Amino acid sequence: MTELTFELPKTPASRRVKRFVVPLLPFAFLIAIWASIVALTDPAIGVLPSPMRVLEAPFDDSSTYFDNIEASLKRLVMGFTVAAVSGVVVGIAAGLSRRVAEFLGPLSTFMSAISGIAWIPLAVAWFGVGTGMVVFIIWNAAFFLIFANTMLGVRLVPKVYGNGLLTLGCSRLQVIRHAVVPGAMPYIMSGLRSGLGFGWRAVIAAELVGASSGLGFWIFEQQEFSRMDKIIAGALTIGVIGMAMDRWLLAPLERRTIERWGLVGTSS
Amino acid sequence: MTVVDEVGGAAAVAPPTISAKGLSHAFTDAQTGRTVHALDDVDLEISAGEFVTVVGPSGCGKTTLLNILAGFIKPSVGEAYVNGRLIEKPGSDRGVVFQELAILPWRNVRRNISHGLEIQKVPKAEMSERVASIIELVGLTGFEHHHPHQLSGGMRQRVAVARTWVSDPEIILMDEPFAAVDAMTRLTLQEELGALTVRTGKTVFFITHSVEEAVFLGDRVIAMSARPGKIIDEVNVPVDRSERTWELMAHNEPLQETVEHVLNLVRGEAAGSREADI
Amino acid sequence: MSDPPNSTVLSAVEASRQQASSHRGRALLASVFRALFPFTVLLGVWWGAWAIFDPPEIILVSPPTVFSAFIDAIQDGTLPTYISRSVGRLALGTLIAAAIGIPLGWLLGIDDDISSAFDPLLRFFNAVSGIAWLPAMIIWFGFTERTILVIIVYTMVFPITFNAMTGVRTIPRRYRDACRTLGAGRLRIVKEVYMPGSFPGVMTGLRLGIGFGWRALIAGEFVVGTAAGGGIGFFIFDARTQGSIRKVMAGMIVLGVLWLLADRLIFKPIEEHVNERWGAVSE
Repeated sequence: MTELTFELPKTPASRRVKRFVVPLLPFAFLIAIWASIVALTDPAIGVLPSPMRVLEAPFDDSSTYFDNIEASLKRLVMGFTVAAVSGVVVGIAAGLSRRVAEFLGPLSTFMSAISGIAWIPLAVAWFGVGTGMVVFIIWNAAFFLIFANTMLGVRLVPKVYGNGLLTLGCSRLQVIRHAVVPGAMPYIMSGLRSGLGFGWRAVIAAELVGASSGLGFWIFEQQEFSRMDKIIAGALTIGVIGMAMDRWLLAPLERRTIERWGLVGTSS
Repeated sequence: MTVVDEVGGAAAVAPPTISAKGLSHAFTDAQTGRTVHALDDVDLEISAGEFVTVVGPSGCGKTTLLNILAGFIKPSVGEAYVNGRLIEKPGSDRGVVFQELAILPWRNVRRNISHGLEIQKVPKAEMSERVASIIELVGLTGFEHHHPHQLSGGMRQRVAVARTWVSDPEIILMDEPFAAVDAMTRLTLQEELGALTVRTGKTVFFITHSVEEAVFLGDRVIAMSARPGKIIDEVNVPVDRSERTWELMAHNEPLQETVEHVLNLVRGEAAGSREADI
Repeated sequence: MSDPPNSTVLSAVEASRQQASSHRGRALLASVFRALFPFTVLLGVWWGAWAIFDPPEIILVSPPTVFSAFIDAIQDGTLPTYISRSVGRLALGTLIAAAIGIPLGWLLGIDDDISSAFDPLLRFFNAVSGIAWLPAMIIWFGFTERTILVIIVYTMVFPITFNAMTGVRTIPRRYRDACRTLGAGRLRIVKEVYMPGSFPGVMTGLRLGIGFGWRALIAGEFVVGTAAGGGIGFFIFDARTQGSIRKVMAGMIVLGVLWLLADRLIFKPIEEHVNERWGAVSE
């Protein structure tokens, strides 16, 4: 390559710094506005605590805080795992047959429309109050999404992939393993990603309304004591955990599978 | 530099429509992080009414050159001028026909074609007249109310060409406009484009990686080397454009020789670039 | 002078036209049956399970029981009122959230640097569901209509903004570049490229947002209760308090049916219309 006799505009290093710092700016801005409002209007702590107070609030009673987070996460793992496995398996099975897909499609839309929360009365009647009910609600929230996405992904896999393998002598099962599943991966990943988000929100909602432990319950409890600082802390915790799971769990998974394979990826 | 006059009286020296000297450009590839040296010391002059084609191997920087002339990117070194004015950003004086669909999917054929005139605030009566005549010229009569996705690739490009032509820019830049069109339609479009430009006397800058297309369409063919793109040579094409058809191309010796000549220029460079990669 | 049309030909034409319209009528009927078939099967499974397992009333009731509860609730006027209140709240929330979110999404989407900057913020607040803010809103606004509205608008604003933003970002650059070469200025490009081009994204955002908002609405009505005037969410919650599983299930089914109707009658037709006229906007 010939030597460049002139300067190039930007160096990559500054771009990397930009990528880290810039996304934090809106948050910093928001916190700054929050802090200024508190400083200027001096509201009661039960109405609007300062950012500092919110940061400290969980640690007033840190063991309860972390125990509740643990309880919620445990339920999420249980519910989501079941939802993921069942959703993907049933989704693949359904997607392989056009008739089954047409049959289950509207049912799936219908079921996913009955919001997770609306299932709680029934779920409480069936499972009683507590972990079982919450896990069911999580499954309910995530399953239909994962299922629908998987089914769609399977149906959209170009038939040529499978046909190509068949001409190489593969069995139907091998076609599923080597063509259908990888081909449907973008949709499966998308379904899993959304499903986890839904599941996490469902945990909180379920606990808010019908459990005696967990992060959602912890937040809801605070309302009776007007502990606004803990409520905000809890809400922010929900956001942090949700984002952390998405960014450090699923996005890398997406990168290592579908982006590596050159299929569309949206890990941002 | 060709001398142009419209009145037919004493010849006057007009500034070339396009003039660029010492254009060099490099950038950092966002994905790989490597430096790409796209253009190396390119000089270019195009006179009014000329049809100049640029041909070269893939990645030789011809699109970069077009983007500089269009005003989409600022060259690392050097400047380009259109009629003596510095090119800094896109404008209606330089029309562009893109390789892929760039007509708006949510406008029908008529409204896409009239878009430039709309922006220039041309009065309605004049606008419909000009649009109607260009629609006829490019053979889209009857499709005025169709939307792009209802049209074939060839017809979409006709819409794109019509849109650019009817807005009457000083120069028209075309970026491999027929590359995405099937081979049969391409031949037709090339002949139609040739006829259109002869009839309207437009100045055109046309890039392609097909040597035949370059020779068929251009008054002058510029052959570029592989990356970093340099101009290897410029070749004047015999036989007046108004007489060229694909049938003629197949039989005409001078034209065939020109194609050979340009092909050798470009092939030599392509082979050279392959060696450099190893 | 030409002969008048042969009466045999006329009647043949008429006959074929009538046949065509009866074919169309049959086709419509067939498609309705096809759409209802899965639900009939579901109904059958439900009824069968109930008949076989004979569960206690607080666990499961039969379809006819639920249906009669449904009819009762309609006849005494509670369900229609509740449905219209819930839908009304959702509609108002959608209007406000769209009025905020769509223009905001457009603004953020125009510049790549700005949209990347706000992307995490939008994702963060989307992760903190509106429901989690319910306790906070109750402290601020009490058990009122306003609380419910705030929660809905909050829940909907983020998916709407995010998708409007994405809708602008995914518009191929060529369209903007092409308009620049035609002499278009910034404002015109926003109006003629970004706004129409982002339409699919905006529709996705609305669809998602309304889905989320619907759930948040139900949760809000659950928690806020009668103070704000009942809605479907309250209907279900109240039914649970009364221990009436039949009413609970009736309410749940109403939820599902309402969404299906909205999806079939509103969202799908709009999406199809856009696809028909514009094709796929982004590749």
